[in-house]
Amino acid sequence: MPGSASVSPFWPAFWRGYRVMTPLWLGMVPFAVAYAVTARASGLSVWETQLMSLTVFAGASQFAAAGLFAGYGAIGGASAIGIVLTTFLLNARHLLYGLSLSRQVKLSRPQRLIAAQFLTDESYGMVTVRGEQEPDGPSFGYLLGAELSLYTVWNASTLLGAVGGAVLPSPEALGVGVIFPLAFLGLLVPMLRGRVTVLVALASGLVAWGLSRVLPGGLVILLAGVGGALLGAWLTGQQTAQRQKAGL
Amino acid sequence: MSVVAVIVLMWAVTYPARWLGLNLGRVNLPPFWLAFLGFVPVSVIAALIVPEVLGSAEWPRRLFACAVGGLIVWRSGHLAAGILGGFAAYWAVRILGG
Repeated sequence: MPGSASVSPFWPAFWRGYRVMTPLWLGMVPFAVAYAVTARASGLSVWETQLMSLTVFAGASQFAAAGLFAGYGAIGGASAIGIVLTTFLLNARHLLYGLSLSRQVKLSRPQRLIAAQFLTDESYGMVTVRGEQEPDGPSFGYLLGAELSLYTVWNASTLLGAVGGAVLPSPEALGVGVIFPLAFLGLLVPMLRGRVTVLVALASGLVAWGLSRVLPGGLVILLAGVGGALLGAWLTGQQTAQRQKAGL
Repeated sequence: MSVVAVIVLMWAVTYPARWLGLNLGRVNLPPFWLAFLGFVPVSVIAALIVPEVLGSAEWPRRLFACAVGGLIVWRSGHLAAGILGGFAAYWAVRILGG
């Protein structure tokens, strides 16, 4: 068809990215509702509850903050610096996601400014793994589609929870807490090719479990993620050295 | 400090980490660090899974669900089938009183 080459491939890729996240919505909706209910119970207004989902957009740290705001301003309650520092510690892991993603997705400077706002654990995992099936690897459109898929659902569910969430069932009652580990496992299983990869996965997972007893969740992911990747790089180096030795 | 100001500060410490990571990926790296970045998805995703399963109060149910879900993905290659199959297994055990 003449002229079809000039049509930007952005939207088809965007919708493929958007759709690839839909299995996660099931787990996302009840948690956003639960966050909103917690935030409202801690004294935040509907607008403040929504603002956090629109700006910060990071589930675990929103939950933590929603809880901390309960004692905000009171003697012995959480301080502003405490809430902000907790958020920073929980979200520092996003540095690692961006670093890893940018090797795979080619982004211009303005595209990086936009993509950074909507990056999450889930979109990172899905785009890194499923993006390989894209014709030329994951594009900006695919990444943004995946990111906004969760952003729209998270924010719509926040509003639902903030306005009328008290009557909705809790995530525990629905048992949806298992959805996230299941989804990530579904991404991990196809990656487990070769001894080193399996070893890295086992070590990172078990170290994260151990650390999670003493440290906040986001920091755990950052430390275990860096540690596991260092182990993998070191083992790969050893293998290469051995092969070179054998070749001599 | 107002609640809105705290939320804006929360944003101010979250966004730069995301942006900085996306900006640092293009630098030329020696083989060790290229291998490091290659292993990041595996290590991060494993670190996201295990505490959510073993650290949960209902860990036996979640472990069973993940065993079923993981097996489905491994045999079929379908992510959604793995999630739904694992979730069904979770509920089967929960209803049967496991």
